[in-house]
Amino acid sequence: MRTSTGQRLRTLLLVLAPVAALAAFFLLLPTPEAAQAAAEGAGAPPPAAEGTFAVTGARVFDGEQVLPGADVLVRDGVIAAVGPDLPLPAGVPVVDGRGKTLLPGLIDAHVHAWGTALADALRFGVTTEIDMFTDPAWAAEVRSRQAEDGNPGEADLVSAGFLATAPGGHGTQYGLPVPTVGGDTDADAWVAARQEEGSDFVKIVIEDGHGLGLDLPALTPERVKALADAAHRRGLLAVAHVGTLADAETALAAGVDGLVHLFLDTPGDAAFARRAREAAIFVVATLSVLESLADGAGGPALAADPHVAPRLNGGQRAGLAASFPPLEVKGGMAAARQTVANLAAAGVPVLAGTDAPNPGTAHGASLHRELELLVDAGLTPVQALTAATAAPARAFGLDDRGRIAPGRRADLLLVTGDPTSDVTATRRIEAVWKAGQRLAAAPPAAPAAPAAPVAKPGPGSISDFTEGLAVRFGTGWMPSTDARMGGASTVELSPVDGHLAIAGEIRPGFPYPWAGALLMLGDPPMAPVDLSAKRGVRFRARGAGTWRLMAFAEPLGPMPAIRTFEAGAAWSDVAIAWEELGVEPDRLQGLLFSGGPAPGAFRLEIDDVALDAARTD
Amino acid sequence: MSATATTTRSPASPLPIAAEPPRRTPRQLATIYALEARYEMLKVLRLPMFAVPTLAFPLVFYCLFGLAFRGGGPGGTPMAVYLLATYGAFGVIGAALFGFGVNVAMERGQGWMLLKRATPMPPGAYFAAKTAVALLFSMLIVIGLFTLGATLGGVRLPTDTWIGLALSLVAGAVPFCAFGLALGYLAGPNSAPAVINLLYLPMAFASGLWLPVEALPGWMQQIAPWLPAYYLAQLGLGALGLPVRVSAGAAVAALAAFTVISLAIARLGYRRDHGRTYG
Repeated sequence: MRTSTGQRLRTLLLVLAPVAALAAFFLLLPTPEAAQAAAEGAGAPPPAAEGTFAVTGARVFDGEQVLPGADVLVRDGVIAAVGPDLPLPAGVPVVDGRGKTLLPGLIDAHVHAWGTALADALRFGVTTEIDMFTDPAWAAEVRSRQAEDGNPGEADLVSAGFLATAPGGHGTQYGLPVPTVGGDTDADAWVAARQEEGSDFVKIVIEDGHGLGLDLPALTPERVKALADAAHRRGLLAVAHVGTLADAETALAAGVDGLVHLFLDTPGDAAFARRAREAAIFVVATLSVLESLADGAGGPALAADPHVAPRLNGGQRAGLAASFPPLEVKGGMAAARQTVANLAAAGVPVLAGTDAPNPGTAHGASLHRELELLVDAGLTPVQALTAATAAPARAFGLDDRGRIAPGRRADLLLVTGDPTSDVTATRRIEAVWKAGQRLAAAPPAAPAAPAAPVAKPGPGSISDFTEGLAVRFGTGWMPSTDARMGGASTVELSPVDGHLAIAGEIRPGFPYPWAGALLMLGDPPMAPVDLSAKRGVRFRARGAGTWRLMAFAEPLGPMPAIRTFEAGAAWSDVAIAWEELGVEPDRLQGLLFSGGPAPGAFRLEIDDVALDAARTD
Repeated sequence: MSATATTTRSPASPLPIAAEPPRRTPRQLATIYALEARYEMLKVLRLPMFAVPTLAFPLVFYCLFGLAFRGGGPGGTPMAVYLLATYGAFGVIGAALFGFGVNVAMERGQGWMLLKRATPMPPGAYFAAKTAVALLFSMLIVIGLFTLGATLGGVRLPTDTWIGLALSLVAGAVPFCAFGLALGYLAGPNSAPAVINLLYLPMAFASGLWLPVEALPGWMQQIAPWLPAYYLAQLGLGALGLPVRVSAGAAVAALAAFTVISLAIARLGYRRDHGRTYG
């Protein structure tokens, strides 16, 4: 009996021990959660685990290739499995993807983000925005939101913070005080300061304005190289804004990791593409903003797209309707298209980027136009989609996103139709997930609560100049010139004989020169007012030539919407509707009557400035 | 084939096998099966010719291709992850083909089968023991690969994915045990290793076990769906949640069909052997 029990025990042990060892082995194998926990250390708990679902039967574009019909299982915000006929755990919510295409959340590789940019982007399936210049304090706020709860209502931000430019160079004109790189600036200290501020990479401006008919101070090639080297020593990517092919060659020689613009002056030929390939750089095409610079037709067409329009808010509509001040652009879109084709043929990673919110572009929406422009330039739809997903993720080292593959973040975009054959299908958005959290299918978010109260319009007439610069509405008139941005233009306002004379001189010194009379509509100055009850603005004007009316509105940021008008030697009536200005009237800040942009002295007289009658519809 | 063989073939077996197998209790049967498996295992462990290459090849290949190439495989999946499935398949197929094919052919050559048939051991125990050893070796290969992947390759997978891949691979050894058995009966004792290597290595390559199928020349990609190893690799990739060309259901069906065909061939071989020199 005893032996038998002993034998039984022994047999049991012989069977159980390997089974237990095997179980222990599999339990000890590392899991993504364990790795994440280890990386986070004793830090904050991971975000709430509600992002578990499956999308079944969709065409899946995984960032590089197309799976005709597959299931994607997402667990706790992370893609757990991809494949046909996946066995799905019981109780997992299922989204029927038949007839639809699932893509990785889009990545816009060139934006300037502030305000509502990130929320605007996410509505269009752009789950990551790579920012090329913004206020680092704002970027830091966004980063803290991302760290706190994943910031599910906004796209993720990857940002350069301040850009590296020469004193008075490109990038200093936007009103944000930029720490410039001058003759006595230590490149390493400059980069260290950016790293300290939280910059994810370093952006270097190589631009003397010649490609745009301007003359700007620019960094020397030696400084560019010193900055790029400093960034690399500190483990940061160094990317370059370039204006011309010559600037691009400077960037290559300095060893940058990528160009964040195409140049417009001349096509980049096959030899340039080969050098770019050998230098292993990537290139952000930003065809959207180049198209706007060249002819300005893309933005309004995009805003009119029935799949795009319902997701636009006022700021985005205004941005798409806006146009650049006339600039002398050499080469233009044909050169840019040719460059893209040559780069792609040489195997240089081409990334989709919009440069939103420049005039003619809008966060989120414009990336869909960018995809179309990339296809126009000769990329296949699949290559274009890669340029907005896997390629930017790889280029910027965002290893956790940009693909539909196990272990990657569930940043997903579900669209109707097949964008891998017709790329405009990306606009037919069904659902957007960020880290597994589905974006509520709501109309565009209302603008953020204003810093100052939004006033209702007062009486129609604002100024008849019979009592000097007195206004019946808003804070009043003030002279405004580009001197504020380092330009050299001048202006003087003189109320004479019951009208306002605006006399001054436009001088070179700032890329977008202006000088004129600014009417501040809000009280305090630049507070937004809601003038949507009015049709537009009307006034009388005298002074032969073409003049500019610029409208500042809160959603536009510092870039005004611009409309030109003609005046003659005799008084004439001018009426400009808000739509014609390309601005949403609900958050207007000011109207600027300006000369330029052509250099020279000017004299414009205006009178009887009034808000136009209420809309009749 | 000698004249004696012809005369002794029929009508009855020349060997003193009882017409009625002796009745045994389930417990006795279990003991027989366990003992046969144990000694099969001991035998295999004492044959470094089998144990060393079977265990070492997939691990060494994994180190060379999976760990040395740190870059991404198809779809950006790290090679270290992708190749867990394909070198896992390579390993278990090797264990099954050599464990069965070469051993059966050699034991036929040594007359070992004759002796076994003369014993009261049920014939099933012989095959069960070989299957058990092949599965055990498969599990050892899987454990080795997973350890390498998790430690040196930095592979991180959910626990159920690790287990799912292990089960797919170990279960995937079964069809190749059947194929190995068929080969063991068709090939002679000296030619078996050569025949099996000639089938095994090209099949492994063309099925995408060494390099992803997508990286193979077009004509080879056309051949792949005709090879059983391709379906085991697809099953493993699917278990990892990677994009696959064949659904799990289709892969299992293909492997089941392959098992049935292999067993039918093995049965023909077994019948042919019955009473022959190697029998």
